[in-house]
Amino acid sequence: MATRTPTPYPRHRSRKWFLTRWPYQRFMLRELSAVFVAAYMVVLLVLVTQVHNGQHSVRSFENTLKSPGLLIFTSVALIFALLHTITWFQAVPKALPLRRGENKVPPGLLIGAHYVAMLALSAIILIIVLV
Amino acid sequence: MTATAITKAAAITRAALLGTITLEVARYLPDEDERPYFQSYDVPFHDDWVVLDALNYLKDEVDSTLSYRWSCRMGVCGSCGAMVNDVPVLTCATFLRDYLPGPIRIEPLANFPVERDLVIVLDDFMEKLTTTKPWIIRETEQPLDQGEYLQTPAQLAEFKQFSMCINCMLCYAACPVYQNHEEFLGPAVLALAQRYNHDSRDEGNAERNDLVWLDDGVWDCTFVGECSAVCPKGVDPAGAIQQAKLESTLGWYRSFLTPFGRR
Repeated sequence: MATRTPTPYPRHRSRKWFLTRWPYQRFMLRELSAVFVAAYMVVLLVLVTQVHNGQHSVRSFENTLKSPGLLIFTSVALIFALLHTITWFQAVPKALPLRRGENKVPPGLLIGAHYVAMLALSAIILIIVLV
Repeated sequence: MTATAITKAAAITRAALLGTITLEVARYLPDEDERPYFQSYDVPFHDDWVVLDALNYLKDEVDSTLSYRWSCRMGVCGSCGAMVNDVPVLTCATFLRDYLPGPIRIEPLANFPVERDLVIVLDDFMEKLTTTKPWIIRETEQPLDQGEYLQTPAQLAEFKQFSMCINCMLCYAACPVYQNHEEFLGPAVLALAQRYNHDSRDEGNAERNDLVWLDDGVWDCTFVGECSAVCPKGVDPAGAIQQAKLESTLGWYRSFLTPFGRR
């Protein structure tokens, strides 16, 4: 067998790395969720400008929101917003670990506190809107 | 019964009857091969064998040219890391029985150049390891007659988790950021920096953070989280990096508000 100069075999970068395993695909979905959250923010900003333009503009925009395309977009955005929320809250105990002396505060407690805070804030906003 | 379940049942029966399981081992002999290739071997199946036992069997009984690193066989030395079915693991802590029906595909740790067969080139990791000064730095040493530096259990708990790293480099093999950006200091080095930064006896934060707080330090990390998922010692490098990001942000605000003060 022919001999060659011994050289370490280099490892190559791959643009498709995220397709190789489910944890990487899950990460990409988490990152993609930010795009949908941002896109829905644009819809909300447009709604605000329509409110500024008056009741007629709001009615017209409400009809636009009921179009099949925007309904599908809103549904997909909702799913991604939920994914975004869940994955962010899951990250909290890693980024902000709390200790009581030698012991860590259980991660479930930290995550649960964030859900409680989110529900409380949502309830306050709902009350402001409805009242 | 599904087709997969039947296949698995058949393979388990085969393993039980024949007592063998197939390993597909990546081979690369640098003076002969242009690129790695897979070689299949049937090895005896034992319920209590780990992948390293099977590799040792191959080396001793079948093919003495096979090269791989190993030492302690008990998850302490960090030498025997390899990709098993695309996941970085310690081969001494990975049972054959968990991969039935097989075959089991064994490759060198991803993201590192291959020296030979399952042996990787460690140079990049070893160079990075010392850059963040993973040792206790004191501005002034306390005189010996004052005794040792005491620490409360709570102070120890601040960094103990990060001190469990065995430098096995599984986290680097799992990290797509390191794969695509070699300058990234990487999970283990950053976790180790955090280990010393959080040690109450240490005074070297500023020296370390000159590197840790850079783009190629913690800010390259996109928090994929697989470094922590594959860590055999529960070090949680992903957590260490996110905590360092927070400290880096607070440090930036501090330097902004008090430009002549210490970070």
